[in-house]
Amino acid sequence: MPDQGDATGGTHGTDGARTAPSAVRVEGLWKRFGEQVAVAGIDLELPAGKFIGLVGPNGAGKTTTLSMVTGLLRPDMGRVVVAGHDVWADPTEVKARIGVLPEGLRLFERLSGRELLGYMGRLRGLAGDETDKRATQLLEILDLAGSQHKLVVDYSTGMRKKIGLAAALLHNPEVLFLDEPFEGVDPVSAQTIRGVLERYTSSGATVVFSSHVMELVESLCDWVAVMAAGRIRAAGPLADVRGSAPSLQAAFLELVGAHGRDAAGDSLDWLGGTSGTVAR
Amino acid sequence: MSAPTAPAGATGAAGIAPGVSAGRSAPAAPPALTPVFLRIKLSLLRNGLKGSSKRKAAYFSTLAFALVVGFFMTLGLALLHGNAHAGTVVVLLAGILALGWAFMPLFFPAGDETMDPSRLVMLPLRPRPLVRALLATSLVGIGPLFTLCLAVGSVAAVARGAAGAVAAVVAVPLLLLGCVTLARAVATANVRLLTSRKGRDLALLSGLVIAVGAQLANFASQSLFQAGGVTALEPVEAVVRWLPPATAVGMVDSVGEGAYGRAAAQLVLSVAAVAGLLWSWEGSLTKLMVTPDGSTIAASGPVKNRGVADGGFWSLMPGGRTGASMQRTLRYAVRDPKTKSAWVTALAIGVIVPVFNALQGTGSVYLGSFGAGMLGVQMYNQFGQDTSAFWMVAQTISSTRDAYVELRARAAALALVVLPYTVLVTAVTAALVDDWQAFPAGGGVALALVGSMLCTGALASARFPYSIPTDGAFKNVAPGQGGLAWGGIAAGMLMSALVSAPVIALTIWLNMAEHRHVSWIVLPVGVAWGWLAAWAGLRLAAPTVARKLPEILSAVSKG
Repeated sequence: MPDQGDATGGTHGTDGARTAPSAVRVEGLWKRFGEQVAVAGIDLELPAGKFIGLVGPNGAGKTTTLSMVTGLLRPDMGRVVVAGHDVWADPTEVKARIGVLPEGLRLFERLSGRELLGYMGRLRGLAGDETDKRATQLLEILDLAGSQHKLVVDYSTGMRKKIGLAAALLHNPEVLFLDEPFEGVDPVSAQTIRGVLERYTSSGATVVFSSHVMELVESLCDWVAVMAAGRIRAAGPLADVRGSAPSLQAAFLELVGAHGRDAAGDSLDWLGGTSGTVAR
Repeated sequence: MSAPTAPAGATGAAGIAPGVSAGRSAPAAPPALTPVFLRIKLSLLRNGLKGSSKRKAAYFSTLAFALVVGFFMTLGLALLHGNAHAGTVVVLLAGILALGWAFMPLFFPAGDETMDPSRLVMLPLRPRPLVRALLATSLVGIGPLFTLCLAVGSVAAVARGAAGAVAAVVAVPLLLLGCVTLARAVATANVRLLTSRKGRDLALLSGLVIAVGAQLANFASQSLFQAGGVTALEPVEAVVRWLPPATAVGMVDSVGEGAYGRAAAQLVLSVAAVAGLLWSWEGSLTKLMVTPDGSTIAASGPVKNRGVADGGFWSLMPGGRTGASMQRTLRYAVRDPKTKSAWVTALAIGVIVPVFNALQGTGSVYLGSFGAGMLGVQMYNQFGQDTSAFWMVAQTISSTRDAYVELRARAAALALVVLPYTVLVTAVTAALVDDWQAFPAGGGVALALVGSMLCTGALASARFPYSIPTDGAFKNVAPGQGGLAWGGIAAGMLMSALVSAPVIALTIWLNMAEHRHVSWIVLPVGVAWGWLAAWAGLRLAAPTVARKLPEILSAVSKG
């Protein structure tokens, strides 16, 4: 198995990570799809009670990692412990403690928003009255009360993300995993989602979300893990990962080795401006 | 095109028309729309075939098939000339043709872009020339060609004498125009429906229309031959003869019979119908192009309150996962077009086969099991019916017990419909064949079959899950999973027959050994056996489901 090098070194060297109990512990996680290695041996420890960002370019393996951590995809190798319980050996304990909003998987779209929440709550074993009470509050706070009787198939992207988030929060999980929760979401819905998540973490719960929007991660998270090509390149409190770089964006580009591409010689020197030669 | 100097803001249609310089200041001579549209239609047709040899092959084989069938039908119809029933046949054929034209666009949106008014909204076009141009393009294609063949054959069958020939020459274009304008008027009036999510849902039901229609046509043709042939249809024909556009064909027949007054009335009706359809088409086209489009309408429309039903029927459901899953399954049977299509097809064919057989005198109480079997297939690939939304279920299943309750709830939802339906169909069949003595045995066999279908369906759902693509009415298996799907269903059906074999054997023995008077014993035996089989199947399937959640999820997420 390849060496993780100094990638995860940051995790163990920080005070925050040492004192807080871990919400998620990943050991030697591997996943191959045919010839392609999607996740190439990840070791990661995510502290509890934090707002954690999993960042990386497209195809870095974020979705595959989150799917394996949440029990939706079986890893080829490795171990995942969430809230003190092994995901694959002890699913009963884990599934009751986590909420998930995956990317690229459908919801039960032929139910209305309210019906979907009622359905999920009952599947989670909540009492009918309690489910309905929580659903009402979640719909209200996520600004979905007006469309609660519309079928999810007629929802916009932002509304889908919000109803998915409501379904993930319904059973009050300890750890919430969100895959690209802000992708394709309008600013108003994004702010609503943000508000709910901030309130949720302030109560001591953990949010793990993936994104490739660095500004968002920088403004939301207090802990980040940077992924590229199926490996963890860096992980730790935001300030540690950012280091001396002016922004997380700059630090990220450096970590994934994409720096310098913007100044790639004169290949597009004709584009824009008036100095270039004009045809004809 | 040939007007490269036209400013960007020039009218789109004018820009397309070659040889027309569309200056911004002098748009004085608008080009004739009809040739432009005809050219667009032909270009679209040509470009659609470009590159894809599969599509090319499909198009040309359809064309060849339509031509061959059209030729022989024309020939066959023409050969009817002089037959006493010729009038009845051609008038009814015209009626069926018109019906087909009216409903085809709703179930098979052909994707004819020249026909899509939303693409023309931004162009400064007047309604009248636009309708003319669209009508001309509608007449290009395989469908109109086929209709033309039938129209020619039909009038040839009934035209007699010189006056008849004249009437025939008038009738052919009238029938063709009647069909085409009917289709366009219906499609344009419903374009908002057709381009919305509901319209796409409707198109997904076309599989159902074909499946049920084929069964009905099969039995209709059979009963026609039994019931003294075409004579039985004469009362229907007497009405259809006065319904445009079949009136055009009726007119030719009337002229042949020398009933000129009747012919004149039918001619007036035909022309008036075409004019009326054109008028209504133009009206809805104009309205469509000057009022807000579907997106704004949908946003401002009233939302149906789906919460109301909570108090009624659903409150009878058990609590927890069982009730929630049953509710969702039943809601999907009504709301999801693919699931609905499968359910309604099963329900309809399950009734058609025993009842029509009984009506034709070939029926048997035991055919009541047919519907039970058809509906039992719905238990197969339960998780594939969830599509990738199965992750939501997978997230809540953490033990064999959860998996068992989930499967049991889905089986219960199915049983809630299948059990009363099976009993009802068996009772109706028993009444029709007047064999009430066999009713309990028929019900027993059917219920035993339902139980074994639930048993094998649960096992197949756990072991052979596959994706059901949500688009395309005829795509029910994701590419590469066809073998899995058919293998699972075929093996399952065979297993179901084996599982219910003891009950079937008992029934046969009771009938053979002249113990018909005690054949009622099959009912309790069948119920018990079916229940036992279902229970055992669910029990056996549950551990597999609980163990293979990620594998099932990836198998059902390919659509």
